[in-house]
Amino acid sequence: MLHLLSYLLSRGLATNKLIPEVLADGVTGLPKVTRNKCVEDCLACVHACPTDAITLKTVSPIVDRGACIGCNKCVALCPTGTLANDSATATYAYNREDLLVEAEQIKLGSGTRGGIFDGSMAVRVVSTGCSACDLEVAAANNPIFDMDRFGMQVVASPRFADALLITGPVPRAMHQPLLSCYEAMADPRIVVACGTCAVSGGVHRNGYAGANGVSPILPVDVFIPGCPPHPWQIILGLLAARRLTGRRRVTAGEGKANRSKALTGGEGI
Amino acid sequence: MKLEVLPLKLEERTTVVKEALDAGDRLGLITSIDGGQLLTLLLSPQMHTVTCFQTPIEDPVYHSITSLVPQAHWFERTTMDMFGLLPQGHPRLKRTHLHEPYAFEGAPLCNDVRDVDAHAYQFFDVEGEGIYEIPVGPIHAGIIEPGHFRFSCYGEIILNLEIRLGYIHRGVEKRLTEVPCHQARFVAEAAASDMPVANALAHVTAMESLLDFVLPGSCQFLRTAALEIERIAMHLSDLGGLAGDIGFLAISSSMARLRGLALRMGELLTGNRLMRGYICIGGVSMHSSSESRRELIKVAEQLKQQLEPVIDLYLANQVAIDRMEGIGKISCSLAREFGLVGVAARSSGISYDCRRYWSHALFPGEDFEISVEQTGDVFARAKVRIREIKSSLQLLMKLLQEPHAGPDWVPLPEELPRNSSAVGIVESHRGELIHLIITDHQGKIQRYCIKDPSVNNWTALAIAVRNNLVADFPLCNKSFSLSYSGHDL
Repeated sequence: MLHLLSYLLSRGLATNKLIPEVLADGVTGLPKVTRNKCVEDCLACVHACPTDAITLKTVSPIVDRGACIGCNKCVALCPTGTLANDSATATYAYNREDLLVEAEQIKLGSGTRGGIFDGSMAVRVVSTGCSACDLEVAAANNPIFDMDRFGMQVVASPRFADALLITGPVPRAMHQPLLSCYEAMADPRIVVACGTCAVSGGVHRNGYAGANGVSPILPVDVFIPGCPPHPWQIILGLLAARRLTGRRRVTAGEGKANRSKALTGGEGI
Repeated sequence: MKLEVLPLKLEERTTVVKEALDAGDRLGLITSIDGGQLLTLLLSPQMHTVTCFQTPIEDPVYHSITSLVPQAHWFERTTMDMFGLLPQGHPRLKRTHLHEPYAFEGAPLCNDVRDVDAHAYQFFDVEGEGIYEIPVGPIHAGIIEPGHFRFSCYGEIILNLEIRLGYIHRGVEKRLTEVPCHQARFVAEAAASDMPVANALAHVTAMESLLDFVLPGSCQFLRTAALEIERIAMHLSDLGGLAGDIGFLAISSSMARLRGLALRMGELLTGNRLMRGYICIGGVSMHSSSESRRELIKVAEQLKQQLEPVIDLYLANQVAIDRMEGIGKISCSLAREFGLVGVAARSSGISYDCRRYWSHALFPGEDFEISVEQTGDVFARAKVRIREIKSSLQLLMKLLQEPHAGPDWVPLPEELPRNSSAVGIVESHRGELIHLIITDHQGKIQRYCIKDPSVNNWTALAIAVRNNLVADFPLCNKSFSLSYSGHDL
């Protein structure tokens, strides 16, 4: 026991004191669009994107970060530097449309301070995917990132959770369990879609398993894109969720509509 | 490895498979291409050969081989789900992948619309005075993928555990036949993204064999490094999880810290903590400078140094050892019968490591020691992991100190050959991972089959927890380190 304690004391504090604004050098983030002009009829990025996240608007590309899996192929292929690597740690958005990034425009939500969970927030994590996001959510909890110090706790039941954090594309067999989990939460409550799959379905979108993300099933308050998002990006996304006021219980009609839509495998974005 | 598909008559199938397994072969997988045939993949590690048998089936009903070859049980159930092929005489025929919401649609990978048995799922009933059930899941208490466990208990003792999976069936195999083949690696990685390197490596190994292309060592060298870093990181995470389930939090958080170093190595090599998108057809997608490689060696040395005291403290704690010793035992004969792979097999005395037998990255050329334990309990699996972390670190340092000169990536043709098939077998941190690719007459991928190591090992968990305490279940579960998404695909 004494050996153990002396070892632990000798190791000192592992936790990073401040949340950095950008990720470490050489780390790949999500693509951003700069003001550099594209070569005419280039389309290299559009063809290279494995999830069709890039479209062209007149002359410059629009990147849908909610569909991007961060493979960085577009950045590597771009001849003019129009697409560049953005290693910012704040990547969350309050609206799905805000994840569509145009030239030098990254719309981060500007929720007002003083949300009801600003002191602390209990988070229930529901995984419906490939476990990369789960590893990173678990890492956000480890001694290095330590999200507990911001008052964010992962809890084991929806009954005492303020926020529901969902990873993965929510395939068909998970629709009903996810709805039950949401319904078991007391209101007001917040839904966070963590990772590109949860935001849009990612590489699984429009398959026969109905894995199109959280939006077709539940109303999402905060989107955290990335495949998987970095633990800092997850922590910042959750901090952003804390600034919200939370949703009231959906009316009976709304809930029913959602449920039947989910059970018939309703089409979403 | 390129495959030749040999015809095999349905009548002879049982004998051929049984004889091969008795002679020391492994059952790689059983599947179908479009529902009109059965494919049986037999691996012969000693001969370094893989044989693929194709058995045409006209009637969607065939004789199950499970009663003679127990390890076929899960494959036959999965084949029923995905292709509507009915194994007659299967002792526990239930669906594995498709849940009730799929009931009114046919089998998803079958060409013709074939109705699958759409009965509601029935759990195995244990009856008797004082027997009760504990249902757990699909959503679990921690941060973990979904799956349902049904315990039948007598007091605190587990009599039977039935595991129901398939909650995160995303249709990965189907999607892999739809996407252009140069983008398929991203989908292959997403099959189970806690082992993206292993999945990507199995994918490119199969693709490159299809293209009949042997890469220079310099392309393979960085892939080998990535695979070993992934093994180190995931084994550290599993050991930390084990300590956490015992309640030994000092070790569990120290392991999380060490894992941070392992992930930093991945970041230095590939720009991504989990090394996603790194391995691509023809080599690797990112050049690594000699500067970052030097930094990598530094971090590896740091990890080696910091690992020792944590392991020593872990193994010096009698309470921790008492909690692990004799819990969740799997005997060698059961491990063989159910075809276990990876750490689960090696801790039950089976010396099987794909890195010794099948060509992927620089293997089987690299020298390393296979870690084997005989007792088959939770402690044995922990010890195998500890030794594998050390040997992987050693291998990694050796690789980094003598880098192969040459290109990181070479361009390969994008068109796949027609009517051919190839297989990629990789030792992931969980064990034997198989990717099987079959192309049609136009050179398009007709069938892409992934056999995750967890497909073999989930059964081991159900066997291991029998007659153990309910409270020891999390420990047993963690010690096998099973993937839900890899199974559900």
